[in-house]
Amino acid sequence: MKKLHVIGIIIIAVAIGVIFISLKNTSTYADFSEAISNPEKEYHVVGKLDKTQPQIYDPKINADQFMFNLIDNKGVSKQVVLHKSKPQDFEKSEQIVLIGKMEGNNFHANDILMKCPSKYNDGKPPMK
Amino acid sequence: MNDIQYTVERLWAGQLGNGFIVLSFVSAFLAFIAFYLSSKNSGYLKLARLAFNLHGFSVIGIAGTLFYMLFNHFFEYQYVWQHSNTEMDMKYILSCFWEGQEGSFLLWTFWNVVLGVILKHQLKNGDWEVPVMTIFSLVQVFLASMLLGVYVFDYKIGTNPFLLMKEHAEYSNLPFVLAAKYESTARGLNPLLMNYWMTIHPPTLFLGFSSTLIPFAFAIAALWNKKYNDWQRVALPWTYFGILILGIGILMGGAWAYEALSFGGFWAWDPVENSSLVPWLVLVAAGHTMIINKNKGGSLFTTHFLSIASFLLVLYSTFLTRSGVLGTSSVHAFTDLGMTGQLVIYVLAFIFITVALLINDKLFKVSYVVISFLLLFFGMLYGYKKILLMLWLGSSGIITFISYYLYFPKEKDEEELYSREFWMFLGSLVFLLSGLIITYFTSIPVINKLFNTEFAPPKVQVYNTWMIPFAILIMILIAASQFLKYKKTDPKKFFKRISYTFILAILFGTVCSIPLYFLSNSETKGIDKWDLISYSLLFITGLFAVLANLDYFLTVLKGKVSKSGAAVAHIGFALVLIGALISTSKKVTLAKNISDKKLSSLGKDFDDRESILLTQGDTLPMGPYLVVYKGKKREGINVFFTVDYFKLNKDNKPEFDFTLMPQIQDNPRMGQAAEPDTKHYLDRDIYTHITAADLNIDTTKKKDAFGSVKNYIGHVGDTIFSTNALVIIDSLRSNLSKAQYEKNDSLLEVTAVLRCVNTQAQSFVARPKFIIQNNVIIPKEDVVNELGLKFAFWKINPDDGTIEITMSEKLSNNKDFIVMKAFVFPYINVLWLGCLIMAIGTAIAIKERIRIFKVQS
Repeated sequence: MKKLHVIGIIIIAVAIGVIFISLKNTSTYADFSEAISNPEKEYHVVGKLDKTQPQIYDPKINADQFMFNLIDNKGVSKQVVLHKSKPQDFEKSEQIVLIGKMEGNNFHANDILMKCPSKYNDGKPPMK
Repeated sequence: MNDIQYTVERLWAGQLGNGFIVLSFVSAFLAFIAFYLSSKNSGYLKLARLAFNLHGFSVIGIAGTLFYMLFNHFFEYQYVWQHSNTEMDMKYILSCFWEGQEGSFLLWTFWNVVLGVILKHQLKNGDWEVPVMTIFSLVQVFLASMLLGVYVFDYKIGTNPFLLMKEHAEYSNLPFVLAAKYESTARGLNPLLMNYWMTIHPPTLFLGFSSTLIPFAFAIAALWNKKYNDWQRVALPWTYFGILILGIGILMGGAWAYEALSFGGFWAWDPVENSSLVPWLVLVAAGHTMIINKNKGGSLFTTHFLSIASFLLVLYSTFLTRSGVLGTSSVHAFTDLGMTGQLVIYVLAFIFITVALLINDKLFKVSYVVISFLLLFFGMLYGYKKILLMLWLGSSGIITFISYYLYFPKEKDEEELYSREFWMFLGSLVFLLSGLIITYFTSIPVINKLFNTEFAPPKVQVYNTWMIPFAILIMILIAASQFLKYKKTDPKKFFKRISYTFILAILFGTVCSIPLYFLSNSETKGIDKWDLISYSLLFITGLFAVLANLDYFLTVLKGKVSKSGAAVAHIGFALVLIGALISTSKKVTLAKNISDKKLSSLGKDFDDRESILLTQGDTLPMGPYLVVYKGKKREGINVFFTVDYFKLNKDNKPEFDFTLMPQIQDNPRMGQAAEPDTKHYLDRDIYTHITAADLNIDTTKKKDAFGSVKNYIGHVGDTIFSTNALVIIDSLRSNLSKAQYEKNDSLLEVTAVLRCVNTQAQSFVARPKFIIQNNVIIPKEDVVNELGLKFAFWKINPDDGTIEITMSEKLSNNKDFIVMKAFVFPYINVLWLGCLIMAIGTAIAIKERIRIFKVQS
């Protein structure tokens, strides 16, 4: 057996290993009900801002805590504690992805991704 | 502004542009056919060259027309309307050109034409001109079609940059379009992109993308002509050129992100970044196997595979970033322009061509072609597209490896373990494998679409953890391989030779990395032990790579510059990784140190307080600094925040150090965007950006007026909170005793002693009075000027012993504040220095390869 064949087999093994290990550990997109049923696991929850509920951000008390309500794709609204400062243009976001876990009745997120009007997306003209 | 009414639209411009577009497509097609035919009959060669030149001329014509329209504000055209306006600075007009998808495709096509014309000239009358230019022209046919914007059976091919506003489906019915008010509504370049990076980054990156086409065209041409051995020496300088330009383009993107965007670093493993990094990694691997092939022969299959893969990965990255498939996983992917299908077809078409050419057996080849087309028609007619696609991709992969075994020339004897080519080859495979893993991570949204899964894209840390072992391997290979000779080396000599630098690296690296990573340090506390070990291993091996290559340059090459390309580039690459490692792993969050509240009870992930609240005028400690937020000013759409940094001098007195002015762009198009400001030192950067602030600058406020009055009911000993102080009801003092009061009701005076303690623990006393004279209550106010607080004592409830006090604050007490993040990036200049050295090394190597090429031919 050639050395290169051994190396080839090692490479294939590493590639397959990466796929399996990363799929096992990766978090998945979910809704609140799934996050509630499995509070240990980290989830990506996709949803929209619940504009009927108040948003609480008081940087004087804690600049790294922002609370609001998110409606997930199934229509469930839950209070979210984001452990970051309030993102700019939060209200303008079309879609929000939160990364975190369920704790008690709140979803504690340590990161947020917002789908905003992208800088490449010239999208719709301002309606007049 | 007055609107110009366009009674006569300048239709000639669009007609001219569209004429060029059609011409460029037709001439590319003609060039493809004619070059193909001249492989059988050289009489077509003249026509082919002419057609390609015509294609080049028309592409320059498209670009020129579009540029003329932008420059002269032809706002009746949608592309001009959308990407420029009259108010913007004309120095950004080039950026308008490639802001949109159509323009960036045009830029890509343009660079291909430039490279194609040079290559055609270089290869003229040689063996490679016809096959290489056939492939080149075919790629140009595909690219030129991206601008066509024509419908074929309801299916749109390409998007056209010369569409009139009134022809555009989205805009044609809008009132301002019907009224032809184009100029005042023109949207213009996104202000966030108005900087010099937008002028230099896209052209460099696209030139890099274009240069991957050259090794690809050669490799495909070689498969087609079954001449696997001869092209590498021609393609090698071009491959190095691609490595240089694409590398610079990627690093420019990183520098842009670091300087002007608030990513909090220079590399975020964003899909858009990854999809330009992966073709570079594969191109670097291809460049190395080409050297093996040139110096020793062999590595043929790998060289072809890597050269083809690099270009296919550019196509794939175009698909990823422009089809909208990434969705929320990227902050800056393009949105879908309805070209997803087209992009997928292009990627698949080139895979198909590669595999079909790889098969040497006629029957086998024909059946592959026929089955592929059958699958395509079946998919179009009956669905099951995903399953068929995966089936086809899988079998194409298997066929690739079968044909490797059946048809490809192979080395007879096994590579020596102690030979340069063996370890160089291994390094190329490590590059390829790391590229494939990054591609896999980046493609998770695609995998979700194909398999209906819901996996989330991996975090930055996942990428770092996976890539560090590869980086360590590469560093060792970079350090050692140069000291091995091609074919065979005496292992004893080799180990002796590298042991000096190896021992030096281990000694120095260990001495440095123990205090860096293992002695208690706040910023490495949260990092896993294994990660810390891998960091220090990378540091040591990186140092080994630098020292060994320096040794090679000085003692083996004797400082001869012309031969030193590889050594210099390798030193540069090692420095890039060391710089990235230290500045990222030792990134200090300044704001963290001032917080006493720990969120660690919520788990490790939550222990990352990064933001600090700064009230105007207050001084707060932040790491080794004292910071003061002085104020803000607005310039156009940008709001600048002045933050002064002080340092304690020897006498423990604060001494002014520097000022940073991070800004927030109040972007009318996409809202607020923070732009950081960074203080550069030789050994570290201090980086500050604003995460939350009030952008309104209110100068009308009367600073001395008092705001609304609030009523407090309480006992002695209670505390009232104002925005800037604690107010404690210390005691009540009366001029009369209770008995005296009952006897004599003419005058009662009760004084409330209020102790006000501000945030600096300074104490002030307020004495509002409650006076009853002849049964009339006359409260007497008291003001604490230092704190801007006014108190009135107006009621005593004898039943429960409570008193009522009102407090009002000066409006100026509601001070402006900002929420800010600050980081220290230590030794980030090592990274930029490494980039520079790597670029210089690659440039030296290109020069040397061109010299060798000229000597040989």
